[in-house]
Amino acid sequence: MATQTETGFGQVSRLQGTVFKYLTFGASLVGIFALGVLLAYVFWDALGLDSAGTVWYLTYTVTLLAPLVGFLAYARDRPEVTAGALEVVGLTLAGGMLSFAAIIVLIVIAGPQVWFTYFLTVVAPLVGLFLYGQYNREATWVGLAMLGAVVVGPIAGTLLLGTFGTVAALLGAPGVYFLSLVVPGAGLAAFLAADRFEASRRVTATVGVVLPVLAIAGVPLVDTVPVLARSVWFAVLVILGLPVGYAVANTARQPARRAALALPAIAVGGFLVGEFVVGALGAAQPSPWLDWQFLTSPTSSLPANAGLYPAVIGSVFLIILVSIFTFVFGVGTALYLEEYAPASGLFGTATRLINVNISNLAGVPSVVYGLLGLGIFVNINVQFGPVVYAGIGAGTVLTAALTLSLLILPIVVISAQEAIRSVPDSLRQASYGMGATRWQTIRNVVLPRSLPGILTGTILALGRAIGETAPLIMIGAVGTKYTPPGGLFDTLTAMPMQIYTWAFLPSEEFRYGVVAAGVVTLLIVLLSMNSVAILVRNKYQQEAY
Amino acid sequence: MSNEGQTPDLTGDRGLQTVRESTYKYALAGCALLSVLTTVGIIGVLFVDAAEFFASPAVTLGEFFTSTRFSPNLEPVSFGILPLILGTLLITFGAALVALPIGLLPAIYLSEYASERTRSVLKPMLEVLAGVPTVVYGYFALVYITPALNVVIRTLNGALGTQLPTLGLFNGISASIVVGIMIIPMVSSISEDAMSSVPDSLRQAGYGLGATKFNVSLRIVVPAAVSGIASSFILAISRAIGETMAVVLAAGSRPPDIPPTQTAFGLIPYIAPGDLLGLYSESAATMTVAMINIAVSDLSGGSTAYQSLFAIGLTLFVITLVMNVISDAIASRYREEYE
Repeated sequence: MATQTETGFGQVSRLQGTVFKYLTFGASLVGIFALGVLLAYVFWDALGLDSAGTVWYLTYTVTLLAPLVGFLAYARDRPEVTAGALEVVGLTLAGGMLSFAAIIVLIVIAGPQVWFTYFLTVVAPLVGLFLYGQYNREATWVGLAMLGAVVVGPIAGTLLLGTFGTVAALLGAPGVYFLSLVVPGAGLAAFLAADRFEASRRVTATVGVVLPVLAIAGVPLVDTVPVLARSVWFAVLVILGLPVGYAVANTARQPARRAALALPAIAVGGFLVGEFVVGALGAAQPSPWLDWQFLTSPTSSLPANAGLYPAVIGSVFLIILVSIFTFVFGVGTALYLEEYAPASGLFGTATRLINVNISNLAGVPSVVYGLLGLGIFVNINVQFGPVVYAGIGAGTVLTAALTLSLLILPIVVISAQEAIRSVPDSLRQASYGMGATRWQTIRNVVLPRSLPGILTGTILALGRAIGETAPLIMIGAVGTKYTPPGGLFDTLTAMPMQIYTWAFLPSEEFRYGVVAAGVVTLLIVLLSMNSVAILVRNKYQQEAY
Repeated sequence: MSNEGQTPDLTGDRGLQTVRESTYKYALAGCALLSVLTTVGIIGVLFVDAAEFFASPAVTLGEFFTSTRFSPNLEPVSFGILPLILGTLLITFGAALVALPIGLLPAIYLSEYASERTRSVLKPMLEVLAGVPTVVYGYFALVYITPALNVVIRTLNGALGTQLPTLGLFNGISASIVVGIMIIPMVSSISEDAMSSVPDSLRQAGYGLGATKFNVSLRIVVPAAVSGIASSFILAISRAIGETMAVVLAAGSRPPDIPPTQTAFGLIPYIAPGDLLGLYSESAATMTVAMINIAVSDLSGGSTAYQSLFAIGLTLFVITLVMNVISDAIASRYREEYE
């Protein structure tokens, strides 16, 4: 404190405080710095930057890095430009991930016939009912009807699989995806144009026509590329093209944001120019482990042939199933606990116990959840009268998805509870005051206000689920599998599982090459998911009042 | 619902609406029941299979907790959990050494010193440390940290003439470091919440008495938030105890040998520092690692080795549950209440 012998009255030595301040600041950076160094190493190894020559680095510094840094410096003090750039990048990322997932689910896993059947029996009725509900707000039966469609649709689809499958076969795969993706996509584009941008009737009609025309016009071009099927082209056009088009249109519409469009121009232009210059100079390029071959081939004992394909598909399977289970049950639990559960009396104690129980479940180690999955989904044989339940198989897709869902459910519930609690009570009271019932209040007031928070929490929890390995090992997921899973009861391997198996191989090429590429793939997926979550949160935080 | 006429239809068509309201209510209550069922499931599975394990002739309850050898598959089999607990203690202690100071200091910085802008950048970056999958941390430890540490150790031995042991391929120290890095955000974010909720009037009072910012931070804010800080420490340690994949990859699958204990003044038992260094430089399997090894090698079910999985799992579950409950209790029991 004050060293009054040496300094005068009223003067205090600031040395101690300053040292402490920088000590704490330094400590904040230690962990981040350590992780940063490790990440730099693993990216360096995975992308094979070792073998790139100086010319390559110089070229890309000039064409890509310098303009990007310039853009960042420009956007630093212009929040509008930053927001626009974030929107463009975020929607591109989200669209890219969604279209990747859609291609795998709709085209690789389901195939045109199965997809077409369930599109007609489940997706189309649901969308139709939802639209009718938006149009006629007083039709109270719509919600119940949607619930019914979720239950009845899959059954009807399974029964009618033969009939609709024949129709789908007649249409051909591109026809199916044109009808089920491009046509609804065109409708959505026209709706967005009219609703969000208040476009005139003529512009709306043009926007609605552009997508199908583009889809058909692109076909001859797509046919010249051997790996690109027409179905894939339609899926990418709609699922990636729509969000990107929306972001670009939204940015171009606001003069203050328009500068943000420079970012994609710099990224694409810089890359193309860089490619051209490097090719012309014949500079030494990096030899990445993480390349197209790595993403599309199964694992192998030869490092050069090893790939992550079955594991990627397995992880996509898991993430889709887990997100459905946890969203439905997580939001359901949170809504019950926050909106319905009694707060006092005997049942109030029960509510409190459930809350304590959930927060304790969130602290249970993941390996114990693996034991739970092993106990109730794999090694079990119980008989209820005539029904024998013998589990759903060791290491199957469904076992893994259910186990991971149970693991992240408490996290989803806690974050959804926080989001629901943050909706001001005055809004609920206002809704009740106007004669709304409890469910109407939840649907029209509570859910719309808390959805961004719920989505952010769910996406972050899903990130935890795709990185988990221990529960998968416990339920008997295999480490080495050469084909992707074909159905819910097929065995699977997932990205972290494959990394775990590879990491013990002694060969240097595996340790510093193949595994690094696997790690980088996993990290890129996680990073994209987290940035989407952060974007969702930022976007709606600005709009909250 | 409302109609435009002069006399509102107050009775309305309530039939469908009542059905709808109660359908949703019970559907949502069903969702909430799932969390209770999960707990029942965990406890049921662990207790049933652990009971079968202790009922088998190969092992007794006393042997499980006192035997100093764990080898479930090699004859003669032995199921002593002590080596695994020692492994867990080693890793957890090492991780706590890394994470408690490096987690607490950022919490003080973020709550007391950082500007709003620095905070909004630094806090999410710290959270990223917890978002990296644990198998990736294990890979980092195995492939990058252990070789780097060996270089440092050789340099030290060469320059200073110390006799530090070089690390094996799998070792406790690199596992401790990565587990420590992983739990930093747990310490920092919960401690920071506790410090941020200390009311400003206390700080103002401190400044009014002529205290510097340094004094206010260390003598007022930290003591006032000590219950939150303690609970964050316990939660982080509990997380380290249950950590699996990083330890599997970094610390290897062999449980540590229990070292000879020395006795100081004929009373206090301790482990010689040299022995401790030896323990950290070699493979140190924890309870979680033993579980993974059994699961990988023998999943046929029914064997004693397989059932020991559940006995270890039960021990782990009880330890982490007790720590979480203690952490909760500290946070609520010793919280300083301010207006």
